[in-house]
Amino acid sequence: MKQRKNVSYAKYGYIFSLPFIIVFLIFSLYPIFYTAVIGFTDYKGLGVTSWHFLDNPFQNFVTIINNHSFRQALYNTLVIWILNFIPQILMALLLTAWFTSRRNKMRGKGFFKVIFYLPNIITAASIAILFYALFGYPVGPVNSLLVKLGIVDGPVYFLISKISARGIVAFIQFWMWYGYTMIILTSGVLGINPEIYEAAEIDGTTGWQTFIYITIPNLKTILLYVLITSMIGGLNMFDIPKMFMQGGPDNSTLTTSVFIYNQAFSGSYLYNRAAAASMIMFLIIAVLSGVLFYLMRDKSEIELRKEAKRLKKERLMIAKEQEAL
Amino acid sequence: MAKTKKKKGLLFKVVAYSVCILLAILSILPFWIMFVNATRDTYQIQQDALSLIPSTHLFENLKILLGKTFDPLKGLTNSMIISTASTACTIYFSALTAYALVAYNWKLRGPFFTFILAVMMIPAQVSIIGFYQFMYKIGMTNNFLALILPTIATPAAVFFMRQFMVASLPLELVEASRIDGASEFYTFNKIVLPIMKPAMATQAIFTFVSSWNNLFLPLVLLTDSNKYTMPIMVSLLRGDIYKTEYGAIYLGLALTVLPLIVAYFILSKYIIEGVALGGVKG
Amino acid sequence: MRKLISLFLVVLMVFSLVACGTDDNTTTTAAAGETTTTAATTAEPASTEKTVLNVWSFTDEVPTMIDKFLELHPDFAAKYEIKTTIIATTEGAYQPALDQALSSGGADGPDLFTAEAAFVLKYTQGDASRYSATYKDLGIDVDTMIKDADIAQYTVDIGTNPNGDVVGLGYQATGGAYIYRRSIAKDVWGTDDPAEIAKIIGPGWDKFYDAAADLKAKGYGIVSGDGDIWHAVENSSDTPWVVDGKLNIDPKREAFLDLSMQLKENDYHNDTQDWQDAWFADMKDAGAKKTFGFFGPAWLINYVLAGNSEDTFGDWAVCEPPVGFFWGGTWVLGAAASEKKEAVGEIIEWITLDTTEQGLQYLWANGSMNADGTKDAVASGKVMGMSNGELEFLGGQNMFDIFIPANQFANGKNLTQYDETINTYWRDQVRAYTAGTKSREDAIKSFKQMVADNLDIIVE
Repeated sequence: MKQRKNVSYAKYGYIFSLPFIIVFLIFSLYPIFYTAVIGFTDYKGLGVTSWHFLDNPFQNFVTIINNHSFRQALYNTLVIWILNFIPQILMALLLTAWFTSRRNKMRGKGFFKVIFYLPNIITAASIAILFYALFGYPVGPVNSLLVKLGIVDGPVYFLISKISARGIVAFIQFWMWYGYTMIILTSGVLGINPEIYEAAEIDGTTGWQTFIYITIPNLKTILLYVLITSMIGGLNMFDIPKMFMQGGPDNSTLTTSVFIYNQAFSGSYLYNRAAAASMIMFLIIAVLSGVLFYLMRDKSEIELRKEAKRLKKERLMIAKEQEAL
Repeated sequence: MAKTKKKKGLLFKVVAYSVCILLAILSILPFWIMFVNATRDTYQIQQDALSLIPSTHLFENLKILLGKTFDPLKGLTNSMIISTASTACTIYFSALTAYALVAYNWKLRGPFFTFILAVMMIPAQVSIIGFYQFMYKIGMTNNFLALILPTIATPAAVFFMRQFMVASLPLELVEASRIDGASEFYTFNKIVLPIMKPAMATQAIFTFVSSWNNLFLPLVLLTDSNKYTMPIMVSLLRGDIYKTEYGAIYLGLALTVLPLIVAYFILSKYIIEGVALGGVKG
Repeated sequence: MRKLISLFLVVLMVFSLVACGTDDNTTTTAAAGETTTTAATTAEPASTEKTVLNVWSFTDEVPTMIDKFLELHPDFAAKYEIKTTIIATTEGAYQPALDQALSSGGADGPDLFTAEAAFVLKYTQGDASRYSATYKDLGIDVDTMIKDADIAQYTVDIGTNPNGDVVGLGYQATGGAYIYRRSIAKDVWGTDDPAEIAKIIGPGWDKFYDAAADLKAKGYGIVSGDGDIWHAVENSSDTPWVVDGKLNIDPKREAFLDLSMQLKENDYHNDTQDWQDAWFADMKDAGAKKTFGFFGPAWLINYVLAGNSEDTFGDWAVCEPPVGFFWGGTWVLGAAASEKKEAVGEIIEWITLDTTEQGLQYLWANGSMNADGTKDAVASGKVMGMSNGELEFLGGQNMFDIFIPANQFANGKNLTQYDETINTYWRDQVRAYTAGTKSREDAIKSFKQMVADNLDIIVE
């Protein structure tokens, strides 16, 4: 019976995804495909209208892989992403646990939830400029604070040090996005069937147990979403490093996206190399996402299926009981 | 036993509140600085970019702002049209596409989902070149549709909606609706969408904010001053490289952010109250 | 297998799209032009008979000038309607949009456009120079007029295309001077006379550093940060960054490493960065030690120093710098594809070459163009000679006395279209070297690596 139903409704799957597919083909795929193709050509320079495929079609890819700055950018991107993602997800999980805790009802959590997302509202450009001013040298708010508190003797040139520049970029990313992640996670928690919590409460679990054994497993699909989107966003990080110090000092905050942008726009219009670099990044992200998917997929799917089966059984039982009545 | 529990509760509260208050200050500070700078003049800002004390130059800044190619009413209207339409397109069509992925068992479902994930990963910086040249070719510059229509296909939003649906949409409800004789489209609009409210509100906020703040693409696509959005107008204030009116820029930024904050506070109620659980409870 | 088929289908569809895209190129752009003109005419039904002139600019300065031009030339205003597109240079948006518009041309294409010093070379001599009309084609008797107006040579050099024809000229002159504090000069050398001070701080960097030592002895810094001397160093070099497609480090630019290090090691400055808080603070004596002066053109005085000076207002003077240089500027160009060249020529001539009292430059030099009456140096030496450049900020000194010769010392032949990018790389490495995080050799090595990695330039 189930089988027949699926067949008759399957066409709606196509119908409902049609608008997406049409718009996607027109507005996204063409530009993306265009990019993929020019990675194999000699398309560079301004106002050039014709281009040719290279004799060695992978020449641009070879050039990019051997490019010192690109390697540095790849390293920076990974480091900055990890530096911001780990504190970000931990902080978001902690806040989610606090805000959704059924035991310790916090006052004003609605207020806090709303406030924590605010940094995301201001454009990245303004935030980058703000932080640049904050860490100004020899005179700047952070420096004058440190000197006043006696932590350092003289002003520190934060923005010339590779480590502190990278740290500041990672902090800005963390600060802009933990609220976003927290909101996503809470909206995921709100989607969890409250019956499960009620059952747990009857069993007498503690707050942490509930969070670790019920909330997190049920959040897995959403966590996967957060992980993958954050990874994609993190590996494509552009606005902050670009606006903060143009990838400096000494390439220490150069991310691959800034590198790609520079290839395409900073003077030589190397569209082909920029496209090749984009494709390399695409491959890297795709492989990483694939790994993540593989690691997280089975368990959650299986659990969900189990859950669905259990619910179905319960419903059937209830129905039977009602029939019996 | 009861005592330790109380102590624990107190400790929890002290820790939780101090962390939250600290984070709240960190979050509000830039807004405060922005609003304060909107009342200071360019030279005060150049001398000391960060001040917590408002100054007296608000009206001067407003005068400079309005004297340039800055028409806040027009900018707000344009931004509002683009952002609202983009948000509506994104959340409705993403939910629809996600529903197609979750509720129906069609042959290309698996490949389609993989495909969506794949395109999500393509770095945006360079495909923007292609997009932009394409828009020129088909004559869609200075047309809001060039910014609105593409949002019908937002892979990340589809992915989010799908993940949310997999976790919290009971397919039994859909089946029940079918048994009641409702059409598939009706079921989606009347049964599924209400359940999706928390996810939709969340995505709506994110989409609205990013669309509102989007600068690069509108800057390049909209060259007619009647079509400028708020961020374009603000960026124009910086156009004069030798004489930057910082006070006016901050005022412009503040004006740009205000509607966002208002929209955000309106939508945030959905996230906070977690309204839409009714569908599951029944 | 199914996946393969779906992929194949997608690829096929895209190919057809690409094909459509290229084939339809001409027809669709024409259609685009049509729609926009109808939009323009519906917006202003009264002006249907007027010809539209498209003006593209990154600043509202030039559009304001054109408004003034229409006001002064009612005959012209009756025939033409100006449609202005202003795109800020922020986030590099102006150039891609302009490039696209120039290469598509058509009814909506630019007729007149402006370019800033940082990227003007691209439109006069570089990749985009084919889009720029020569002034001769615009109907301007350019060679005679340049001579008559005594236009600063560096602006002509920059505006001349590889065939030797002028395609762009400026209205503003941005030849640089040294702008210093009178009271400090008196305290250290007993005189604040610009002619005397010029002899103390120059010519040449050796004398400048001798003067720095004198100032240091009395507790003053000669400049605020190394960014101040950079523009002078950059522009005094004999060769550009790129020669025959190869990276070239001119000895004078390489010397910036040592000049900068000398400033730092001897504590001759407050180690600030240009355009940052501390730099502005030095203009009103709020830095660690008082700063004697700044390098800059007239616009630095008007737009930056005067407003930030506070109590030091009126205590300043300008003198000849130790080396000649220029900094910034806007060039006005006509589009080669424009069908209204004569009209474009009329406007451009009025802005860049008209030396009468009704010409733009006279109005600009005497501050009649803006509400606050800011005077600025202009490209024409003749106009500056006719004008009064006395400023209260300079204690009544006539700044044109210094800026007319300053414009002659500036060199417009050592630039490339890559300068903005390469300068950033160079200054970053110099900063790393003076901060002690890198050796001199490593700084140069990293600099070369950056250029090789990011630009299509051969590095040896």
